[in-house]
Amino acid sequence: MEFEVQDNQANNSIQGVINLQPQVNQVQAQQQEIPIKQTDLQVSSTLEESVAVTLLRDLRQIGVKLRCVLVPTMSSNNAKELRNWDLWGPLVFCLMLALTLSLSGNNDDGPGIFATIFVLIWVGSFVVTLNAQLLGGKVSFFQSVCVLGYCVFPINLGALFTLFFSFFYLKMFLVIGCFLWSTYSAVGFMKQLIPEQKRILALYPVILFYLFLSWFALIV
Amino acid sequence: MQNFGSNNDLDEKGNVMTEQPKIKVKFEPKPKQSSCPICTVEYYQQFFDIEQRDVYMRIRCSLLSWKPEFYQCVGKNPDLWGPLWISTTIIFILFAGGNLSRFLLEENKKHFKYEYNYMYVAVFIVYAMAFIIPIILGIIMKYILKSELGVFDIVCMYGYSLSVYMFVLILCIIPYNEAQWFFLMCGLANSTIFLLVNLWDFMKKNKQTALIAIPIISFNVALILSFKFYFFRLIYAVDD
Repeated sequence: MEFEVQDNQANNSIQGVINLQPQVNQVQAQQQEIPIKQTDLQVSSTLEESVAVTLLRDLRQIGVKLRCVLVPTMSSNNAKELRNWDLWGPLVFCLMLALTLSLSGNNDDGPGIFATIFVLIWVGSFVVTLNAQLLGGKVSFFQSVCVLGYCVFPINLGALFTLFFSFFYLKMFLVIGCFLWSTYSAVGFMKQLIPEQKRILALYPVILFYLFLSWFALIV
Repeated sequence: MQNFGSNNDLDEKGNVMTEQPKIKVKFEPKPKQSSCPICTVEYYQQFFDIEQRDVYMRIRCSLLSWKPEFYQCVGKNPDLWGPLWISTTIIFILFAGGNLSRFLLEENKKHFKYEYNYMYVAVFIVYAMAFIIPIILGIIMKYILKSELGVFDIVCMYGYSLSVYMFVLILCIIPYNEAQWFFLMCGLANSTIFLLVNLWDFMKKNKQTALIAIPIISFNVALILSFKFYFFRLIYAVDD
């Protein structure tokens, strides 16, 4: 007896076909090829490689996804790439931003700012994604958190640049540019997933989220 | 999937091999019976069933507060989108605008120290005003004073009553005492009138229900006093 099942993620069910014909022929069973799954081979090979190779591969994947998210083109490759969400990228950018902002301030609020930015990014992404889901958007939860986290990267760049310039209007110009870049990328991803009449309701929280972060980048 | 051959083939033992019967099976997970329906996310989906046109109409109703049209706007569909994001916007304006107002007044710009506490205090005050107080009032009104309005109707109404402060607080960045008081008084009047006008049908029932006006007015007054004396306080240099 063998059966084949598929995970049907659309309506959260499992569909499958059960073959009730019993295995009559022992010989046939022995000759049966057991398909070796691709991932089994991958797992055994990745266990043997060096740490540097593993890290480089992860960094390369982060880089690829970053390029997909920040240079929004409507190719299907982009969409497929984004479906393999990961939370390493968002974590790296969140930590980078929190560290940059907490170390650049000339005050003893450093730990407070670090904690505020960290909590703001994760709770903010969570709430914005939840909002989009409740409005009826067909958005996978972690995929959306992943994209929102990757779109924090321009604000990271903005925060780093403001460390080197002290002229206020230049800083403001840079931070506004980074804010617009972040928002444009995130909005480009999310607006396809929300029905037309509710679009602004889902996108306004995204804008508010990046506005909060950009404001922090500007004032610290 | 193995193919055992077409019909009427014989296997080694001489049995007729028929095409294997296939039964399509669909497993669907049973819907989880939660003991606390209000704790699940699915419960709140009903409060986000609105469109951007509806939100615009509701904010417009709250700004033109003297017309008791809010129930016609809301109908049987109170939403939580408005209260949540209006209060979050107000928190941002308080945090950014409060510090900006102090910065504009500061003579020596290099000595300006940004107060991050504004954010934590703003979060506490605004979310208390937008959620905790209307939930308590709603529970009192529904279960003790027997109103037809549900708890979430009151939360929705309170959330939209705060929408005028989005505009008032931006204007309060102007660092002049009289201007700030003027704008805050306008906001207070608008917000309180909105709440009282829309609860008028409930309040005119009897003396007990009319008493609900007292906590409504006092919480609103406390709110603008906290805005003025914490976020937009103006400290003038003392002239000798």
